[in-house]
Amino acid sequence: MGSRFEKDQKRRLISSYFSVVLSIALVLFLLGLLGMLVLNAKKVSDHFKEQVVLTIYLKESAKEVETKQLEKSLALSDYVKSIEYVSKEQAAEIMKAENGEDFMDFVGYNPLQNSIDVHLKADFVTSEQLEKISEEAASKNFVDEVTYDNDLVNLMNDNVKKISFWVLVISGIFTLIAVLLINSSIRLAVYSKRFTIKTMQMVGATKQFIRRPFVWQSVRLGIIGAVVALIGMAIVLYYLNKTFSELQLLSNPVLVTLLFVGVFALGIVITWISTHIATQRFLNLKTDDLYY
Amino acid sequence: MSKPVLQLKNASIYQGDSLVLSNVNVEVNKGDFVYLIGKTGSGKSSFMKTLYGDLTLTEGEGHIVEYDLKTLKEDDIPFLRRKLGVVFQDFKLLTDRTVNENLLFVLKATGWKDKTEMDARVEAVLTKVDMKTKGFKYPHELSGGEQQRVAIARALLNNPELILADEPTGNLDPQTSIEVMEVLQEINKNGNTILMATHDYALLLKYPSKTLKCDDNQVYEVVQRKG
Repeated sequence: MGSRFEKDQKRRLISSYFSVVLSIALVLFLLGLLGMLVLNAKKVSDHFKEQVVLTIYLKESAKEVETKQLEKSLALSDYVKSIEYVSKEQAAEIMKAENGEDFMDFVGYNPLQNSIDVHLKADFVTSEQLEKISEEAASKNFVDEVTYDNDLVNLMNDNVKKISFWVLVISGIFTLIAVLLINSSIRLAVYSKRFTIKTMQMVGATKQFIRRPFVWQSVRLGIIGAVVALIGMAIVLYYLNKTFSELQLLSNPVLVTLLFVGVFALGIVITWISTHIATQRFLNLKTDDLYY
Repeated sequence: MSKPVLQLKNASIYQGDSLVLSNVNVEVNKGDFVYLIGKTGSGKSSFMKTLYGDLTLTEGEGHIVEYDLKTLKEDDIPFLRRKLGVVFQDFKLLTDRTVNENLLFVLKATGWKDKTEMDARVEAVLTKVDMKTKGFKYPHELSGGEQQRVAIARALLNNPELILADEPTGNLDPQTSIEVMEVLQEINKNGNTILMATHDYALLLKYPSKTLKCDDNQVYEVVQRKG
C-alpha cells in the first residue's frame, strides 16, 4: 500500500540521487586537489629549487679568518638560505661512505679541498643569479673554484614553468568537466520530470514556483556532494601533510580555508545554475514539444 | 447582460505552421454547458490548447475570462489558468504524490497560505466528486474514473469561471464515462461554466446541450435532432 510504495520510491530516488551526488563529489574532490596543488605549487617548486647546491672550493692556502669572513658575509646576504662548511676531512668521510672504499689508501693523501656548500633561496635559483654569485665568490683570491649544476638549474626552471602551465590547463579542463558532468546529471533528473513540470504549469503554477523545489533539491545534492569532497580533501591533506611535513601544506590556513569554502560554493553554484537552466528549458517548451 | 466568459471572433488556430481552424466565432456565456465535437484531428485539442495558452492566438480576436488571448504574455499564462479549470483526457495528475498532495500543490501554487483553509478546500472539492475517502491514495492506485474525478476536483479548487474539459471521458469505459459526466453535470448545475471537447456521441444524446462541431477547418453550431 501507500507506505510500501513510498518506501520503494524513496529507495529508487536515493539510488538515482546517489550517482548525482557521487559525480558532484568526485569532480569537486579532483578540483579541490588541483586547487591545493596550485596553491602549493610555488612551495613545492621552491622546495626542490632550494636543494640546489653551489659549492665554493677553497684554496689550501686560505686562512681561517678569510674563510670565516666569507661564511659570514654569505650568511648575511639576502640570497642565501643556508651555508655549510665542509672540511676536506669531512668530504673524505662522505666520499668514503658513498663509494664504500677508502680512496686515500691508494692515493696516499687527501686530494679534496675545504669547501662551503651554499643553498640559495628559491627566487635566486636562476642561471643568471647563480653566475653572478659564483663570479663574486670566485673573485676572492683564496677561492679556488665555484661549481654548481647549471644544467640541473635550467632543467628545473624549465620544468617548473611547464608544470605550472599544465596544471593550469588541467584545472581549466577539470572545471569544464565538472560543470558538464554535474549539468548532465541534473538535466537527466529534470528531464525525467518534464511531464510533471508541464502538468504543474497547466494548473496555474508560476515558473518560479515550479522551479524552486527542483533548485532546492539539486542544491541539497550539491551540498552533500561538496561535503563528501571536502572530507576527501581533508583526509588527503592530512596524510600529505604528515608524509611531506617539509612542504608545510597547512602553513597558510587562510588560503586552505578559502579553498574549502570555494569548493563548497562551487558545488552550490554549479548545481543551482544547471538546475535553473534545465528547468527553464522545459518550462519554456509547449506541451507538444515535450514528446521529441 | 454580463460579458461572455469566452468569446472568439474570426480567430484562426494554428498548430505549428499549419492552419487547423479558421474563421472561428464562438461565444460561451456564464452557466453554459457547451460540447465541442469533431473527429480526431479536426482541431478540438488545438482549439482547447489555444484557450488555456498552450498555443498562441495569432489571428483574430479572443477573450477568455477577462484575458485577451491575442496580447497574452508568457507571464500572464499561469494567472489565466488559475481562472480556468482544465481537465485532460489523460488526467495529468502528479504521479509522485497522493491525491491530497496533488490538490494541496495546486492550492500552494496558486497562492493559498492558510493550512486549515487549504485542507477544508481539498475536502470540499473531493466531496463534490465523491472521492473524500480516497485522498490518501496515489493516482496509480485509483481507477481511471476515480483519477478523472480527482482531476475534476483539482479543476474546481479555485472556483474557475470556466472549466475546459478536453475529452475527459476519452480514456474511460462507457459506464465510467457516464459517472464522470454526472459529476460534470452536477457541477454545471451549481453554476460553473463548462466547455467540453468529446467524440463520445452517446453522451451527447444522453445529456443534450449546446454543441459546436469542428469539421473541415471550421467551427459551427449544430442543432441536435431529438429522437
